[in-house]
Amino acid sequence: MIQSTSTKTFQYDAKRRVTVDRAGLFLGFLLLLTLPLMVQSNGYILQVFTHALLLASLALAWNLLGVSGSISLGHAAFFGVGAYGSALLSLEQGLSPWLTIPIAGLFATGLGLMVGLICLRLRGAYFALATLAFVEIPRVITGNWDALTRGSLGLVGISGLPTLRMGDWHVDFGSSITASYYLVFVYSLVLLGLVTFVFRSNMGLALQAIREEEIAAEAVGIHVNRYRLSSLLMSAFFTGISGACYAHLVRYIEPGLVYGLHFSAIPMIFAICGGRFTILGPAVAALVLYPVDQFIFHPLLPAGHEFLYGAVLILTVLFMPNGFWWRLRNA
Amino acid sequence: MEVAERIVILLQLKSLNKTFNNFCALSNIDFSVSEGEIVGLVGPNGAGKTTLFNLICGRYRPSSGNILFKGIDITDLKPHAICRLGISRTFQSSRPFPRMSTLDNVLVGHIFGKGFSLHTRPEDREMARELLEIVGIAHKAETLADQLTLSEQRRLDLARALATRPKLLLLDEVAAGFSPILVKQAIQLINRVRERGVSLLIIDHFLNLSLKVSDRLLALDHGEKIAEGPPHMVMRNRDVLQAYLGLRHQDEEED
Amino acid sequence: MWTTIFVSGISLGSFYVLIALGFALIFGVTRNFNLAHGELLVLAGYSAYWLWKAWAFPFVLTFPFAILVILLICLGLQRLFSRLRDPIELNSIVLSFGIAILIQNSMLFCFSGNYRLIRIPILSQGFRIPGFYVSYGQLTLFFLSLIILGILYVLMYRTYLGKALRATIQDKEAAALAGINVAAMGTLAFCIGAVLIGLAGPLYGCIHYLYPSTGHEATLVAITITIFAGVGRLGGIILAGWILGLAESFTVVLCGASWREMVSAVLLLTLLAFRPHGILGKGEE
Repeated sequence: MIQSTSTKTFQYDAKRRVTVDRAGLFLGFLLLLTLPLMVQSNGYILQVFTHALLLASLALAWNLLGVSGSISLGHAAFFGVGAYGSALLSLEQGLSPWLTIPIAGLFATGLGLMVGLICLRLRGAYFALATLAFVEIPRVITGNWDALTRGSLGLVGISGLPTLRMGDWHVDFGSSITASYYLVFVYSLVLLGLVTFVFRSNMGLALQAIREEEIAAEAVGIHVNRYRLSSLLMSAFFTGISGACYAHLVRYIEPGLVYGLHFSAIPMIFAICGGRFTILGPAVAALVLYPVDQFIFHPLLPAGHEFLYGAVLILTVLFMPNGFWWRLRNA
Repeated sequence: MEVAERIVILLQLKSLNKTFNNFCALSNIDFSVSEGEIVGLVGPNGAGKTTLFNLICGRYRPSSGNILFKGIDITDLKPHAICRLGISRTFQSSRPFPRMSTLDNVLVGHIFGKGFSLHTRPEDREMARELLEIVGIAHKAETLADQLTLSEQRRLDLARALATRPKLLLLDEVAAGFSPILVKQAIQLINRVRERGVSLLIIDHFLNLSLKVSDRLLALDHGEKIAEGPPHMVMRNRDVLQAYLGLRHQDEEED
Repeated sequence: MWTTIFVSGISLGSFYVLIALGFALIFGVTRNFNLAHGELLVLAGYSAYWLWKAWAFPFVLTFPFAILVILLICLGLQRLFSRLRDPIELNSIVLSFGIAILIQNSMLFCFSGNYRLIRIPILSQGFRIPGFYVSYGQLTLFFLSLIILGILYVLMYRTYLGKALRATIQDKEAAALAGINVAAMGTLAFCIGAVLIGLAGPLYGCIHYLYPSTGHEATLVAITITIFAGVGRLGGIILAGWILGLAESFTVVLCGASWREMVSAVLLLTLLAFRPHGILGKGEE
């Protein structure tokens, strides 16, 4: 998947790529913007899509690292630290989530720095294995640090999403599911904009070059480890923010949940299935697969409905290693 | 003597050694490349030519000895830093960025070869396109690099290396396996590169290029320098003939 | 007390050796990291549990069945793995991660998320030697791991087939040039690996509660031991298993049971940090 040995001829058609991207973006934006109107008062549908948007943001954040060719199996570490960081700051210190959410992002960045120091010397499979192992450390520490984190019991009564005040006008994002939905929507859009900026900037060029052929990238003057570290830190920061949003959205967290394999696997699966080398792919995959899982497979198979993700991942790796959005743009 | 004084030494290797797990890949190499010079690096398989390149470019660290470039000690620098100082290279088996367009491949060299800017300006693209024209693959600018033929990939490698605006360019087997026509084109290309004020160090195992373009040859065998000098002198050197053709037996009989 | 910890550490280590052998063999020969290893192990445990509980099979007779089940699955998996493109190691991780999710959810569907244990009373009985206490279960694990290693040793070092396997482990291309059917060796490795998993799975079910998501920990243990030991070193595996087992036993006593889960992760990270190129870390080119 890193070094393409595909024999299929892809037409490198810039026009087609732009068209597909614009169409996807426009349609997605319109649908998501009007979704609360379309589903009216159906809280369940809205809740699922709020969650799907949050997972889309996770997948986008994962892909900030993924574009450099590194596959992380341990993003739950950043997610969990973000969730716990923000929840504890708001519970214990009574700070507003407006403040605790970005701080939690910084906590996750700090953890990202640790991961970087240990794992960035590793490549490919060994980097993936190291991240897989790394999650255990914050998980066990959080579970054991009873005095601070209340251990494996988890945290309840976390404050909801915050209120935005501008003079007399205010929105309480925690008050209704529609408001929460729009907050997560805006966050995902901002993140999408940022990912677009990074991918299109020369930093994105450097990350792509590192992914495609590291030795040559180094030889043309790219400081490989600096770029890999910055992409890891950005990825960690936004994963932490998403984790913090999750904590305030769901208002209950426990170590086994937020550090669980689920939150490591999900962004990786969405990014790989959607297309690690595209901007929109990971988000699209999240917004399609998660609702399909929740609306179709969950009612059919209450136990074991997540086999869908496994199956989709297997099919992608075997038949469409660059992901389906890449295929759509370059077919 | 006056002529000699005007020659500026660009690259200087001082008693360079490299061993891999007790295997001596290079021993005591002393050598220099002057500004504007084209030097051919010849020798049989396993003589240490590519190892020497990897040492100069910072991929390997020498076991002992120093490398000076424009008077700066670059022995311990990382590859990207060495590139920014003005040494750039091509690879024996070319290493393009496969899933990036040909133009983007060159653009990467142009943008990172001398520093960093956050955004690509239109003139950067112009530069990249110009280089593609020089190496003759401008018509493939929008093709993904892994769709190029082998000889086009070599040209791309060269264009990307040139895009970093080097003072010294290291070419690793640019013309290996080329037909006579392609070799001729390669020679023209090398001369054009030299006109841009770039010095070249060329690995040329099959000698189909360096005899025609080099000012000087350096011959290696088993990691040791066996001859150095003008091409026709080096090619008459007995050690070189021996290394290449295994003429020892015949020689001894003549003696 | 220390001897008791030591004994339990060694027996735990022997158990880990049994867990890791299949993983190590498959990785060595095919360079595939099979992250679904733990899930296969748990599946073997479940099939033994099902026979034992629903059909009242004697525990010893559940092994052939477990082996058969895993053998069939592994042959199917091998087909998938053999389709992977370069870089095989990384792609195998992603693929097997998907397989792990698939198996985990199938087990959740078939056996629910409840905790299950194969209760074999005799295994927890034991006897007291002056100074410490040994259970039959611990003895079984210890000797079983040695016996299986012995059999593997004979297979690898005393037969032509073993020679071919070792050649494939050391250098795939060279082995292929020497006329070894590398693809067949891959299939064989998956078969032997499946037998080893089928042997370890039912034991896992006696020692450890079975639930669908428990396989992840076993996978991590197998990875750690394999990387610790280095490819193709049977002696290294037993050493690595014992060290990990001892480290975990002492951690439980000194820090508390809840810190145990971190031990293998920390060990793996330390190993990787000092051998950044992985097991084969001899630099590039």
